[in-house]
Amino acid sequence: MANTSTARATSAPASEAAPSGAQRAGGTGGRRPYGQGRPPVRERQGAAWVFLSPWVLGATVLTLLPMAVSLYLSFTDYNLFDPPSWVGLRNYTQMFTEDARLYRSVGNTLLYVFIAVPLQLALALAAALALKSMRRGRSFYRSAFYAPSLLGASMSIALVWRAIFNDGGTVDNLLSGVGVHIGGWVNQPGWALLSVALLTVWQFGAPMVIFLAGLQQIPQEMYEAAAVDGAGPWRKFASITLPMLSPVLFFNLVLQTIQAFQVFTPAFAISSGRGGPADSTLFYTLYLYERGFTSSHMGYASAMAWMLLLAIGIVTAVLFRTSKSWVFYANEEGG
Amino acid sequence: MPRPRTRASCAAAVAIALCATLTGCGGGASATADGKVTLRFTWWGNTDRAARTEKAVAAFERAHPGIDVQTSYSTYDSYKQKLATQAAGDDVPDLIQLDYRQISQYAGSGVMLDLAEQRKALPTGEMDPKLLKTGQVGGRQYALPMGVGTQTVAYDKAAWRAAGVIQPQAGWSWQDWVKALRQVKEHRGTYAMTDPGAAEDQFEIWLRGRGKQLYGKDGQVAFSAGDLARWWTFTSKLRKEGLVSPATDTTQMSGSVEDTPMGRKLSVAEFNWDAPSAGYEAMYGDRLAIAPTPTGEDGTFGQYYKPSMLLGISAGSEHPREAAQFIDFLLNSDKAADILGVDRGTPVNSRQRSRVLSSVTGFQKQVARLQTSLRGKLDPPPAAPPRGDNGLQSTFQRDYDQVSFEKLTPREAAENFLTEARAELRP
Repeated sequence: MANTSTARATSAPASEAAPSGAQRAGGTGGRRPYGQGRPPVRERQGAAWVFLSPWVLGATVLTLLPMAVSLYLSFTDYNLFDPPSWVGLRNYTQMFTEDARLYRSVGNTLLYVFIAVPLQLALALAAALALKSMRRGRSFYRSAFYAPSLLGASMSIALVWRAIFNDGGTVDNLLSGVGVHIGGWVNQPGWALLSVALLTVWQFGAPMVIFLAGLQQIPQEMYEAAAVDGAGPWRKFASITLPMLSPVLFFNLVLQTIQAFQVFTPAFAISSGRGGPADSTLFYTLYLYERGFTSSHMGYASAMAWMLLLAIGIVTAVLFRTSKSWVFYANEEGG
Repeated sequence: MPRPRTRASCAAAVAIALCATLTGCGGGASATADGKVTLRFTWWGNTDRAARTEKAVAAFERAHPGIDVQTSYSTYDSYKQKLATQAAGDDVPDLIQLDYRQISQYAGSGVMLDLAEQRKALPTGEMDPKLLKTGQVGGRQYALPMGVGTQTVAYDKAAWRAAGVIQPQAGWSWQDWVKALRQVKEHRGTYAMTDPGAAEDQFEIWLRGRGKQLYGKDGQVAFSAGDLARWWTFTSKLRKEGLVSPATDTTQMSGSVEDTPMGRKLSVAEFNWDAPSAGYEAMYGDRLAIAPTPTGEDGTFGQYYKPSMLLGISAGSEHPREAAQFIDFLLNSDKAADILGVDRGTPVNSRQRSRVLSSVTGFQKQVARLQTSLRGKLDPPPAAPPRGDNGLQSTFQRDYDQVSFEKLTPREAAENFLTEARAELRP
């Protein structure tokens, strides 16, 4: 009870701030009746377009146009050399009916998402909690934990990773030292995917920083009130931290899930671009790349890209739907 | 009223200035200030080849001060992908190196210049007509072979000798080969050779030794699933006996010598092409030796002389004459021959060939000796692989992965490969 009332108290000034700010902005024009002494709307819009033009130009030429072309190509047979020929829905039907490797790649991707995302978020949250309670050196550790996120996406780290998890690599030696003989992870079908997932988990810096910001938003009074009521640390975490943090958790979950579906570089580097060993790291994007650039089926690859977009859209929509039952927004409670 | 107008005109001015800088950046290097002609030349290869090529390019630029050659190189896999993308975007470099597997695709799609147009700048009279044919599509010469190579067994001389195996000679059979592997394995206590099952090149040698071919005249697959299943059963037996590398060591091969079991010093022998075997020198020094590949039951040689790579001019080149001069220099001049040696295989120009074969040193001398010893014994190269063959090498390796990790039987994997091959080679 104590926490809901505080939540209302803190959210109130925030919700009031917005309208007052808007009034102030309108206030300068408000001295005269609206529309007098101001250029017509169209002219003002003109200036806006001029300023926006670099972005609009970039978005159109570099994003929208290629997307439109890729949508068109997804209905064609295109090998990069001969002009694309229209095949209607054949690429799409082939994906669903004839392509066993595609299903394999979907399975691998889902497995990867289910392993990497929860592990990464848990680690990020744990690190954020540890950082929050830290009195000295917080900014140093924050930077230190964040560093892998800056490096991790690069090809070179993926190659280092491959060396670490290879036969006679660091991991192999350490495990052998304690009597576990697995050998190199990256060249065994049962272990390769896990080594890729760990590379992603290690890059927990971005969600950690967001978690940390979220944690610092939780009013201290709640914890004090809970302490007075005799709540222990676990109770505080489960009843205050988690609910108050749920919007941030949700945000991180959506973001990391979307990213995980698109995993490419680590798998590409670790498997030398083939999704091996024995297709065990053949992720959807890797297969897409292979269809497009190794076997020159650009039409098919485009169709795959659109299916990926659709799938990510659906997964995100599902996440949003479920969020209603577990995400707690402090201000919605007050309204 | 006046205020917004100024603001709008300011905005316009800023936008114009922005556009100006952007176009300024985009201009590129097409127009050089001193009127030099710039040629772009791309190839694949390792650092050793890069060093030799750069040296040859510098010699060409000294001889032709008006021409500037910009070079770039990468590994074969990424080269292939980049070039295909450039072809789609009409941005093919002036001079491009092609594999025998690419020529049908590139010449057939109008990407390459018919070299007959530059006959004056690029004489081919001293080149072996049989080899010139490898750069022809539909009777037109689109590219010239840069060198000739053949398959070999590269091995660690010291390790083999310690096991009591004497230097294998041309004409040794697959049985002799297995016997040698068994001997080396017993002496070393671990596998002797890299599993050859994953490489289509090795399958081709074995297949040709049995009198068959990868592709027929119609551009379709000319072997059966039974043939491929037999090969994979053969290699699987060797693997299970511990004569060749296990799946976990073979799966990482990616086209560069450093990633192979022999390059990682796990095995002491490996199939490879002759000139690229120079890559092992860094690990084995003068213990490195090469032998001809095993022959079929009746002594039929499976290996053949293949154009190691071809060099051509893009149809869109603005300076075809200068490009032709460059090819002429690289393939016909003494200077380039002395610099390049047999790095891209032995020269195709017969005069340069004898010059190079008698003057090379170090490992290149072994390549020269091997090629001389096989002279007259090998069949002419098969016709260029058909369009669509491009991706099949990786399909082959991938399907064998399923066999070596024992997820599929040789027969099942062979059926899979043929299904995909037939789909890719659809006319």
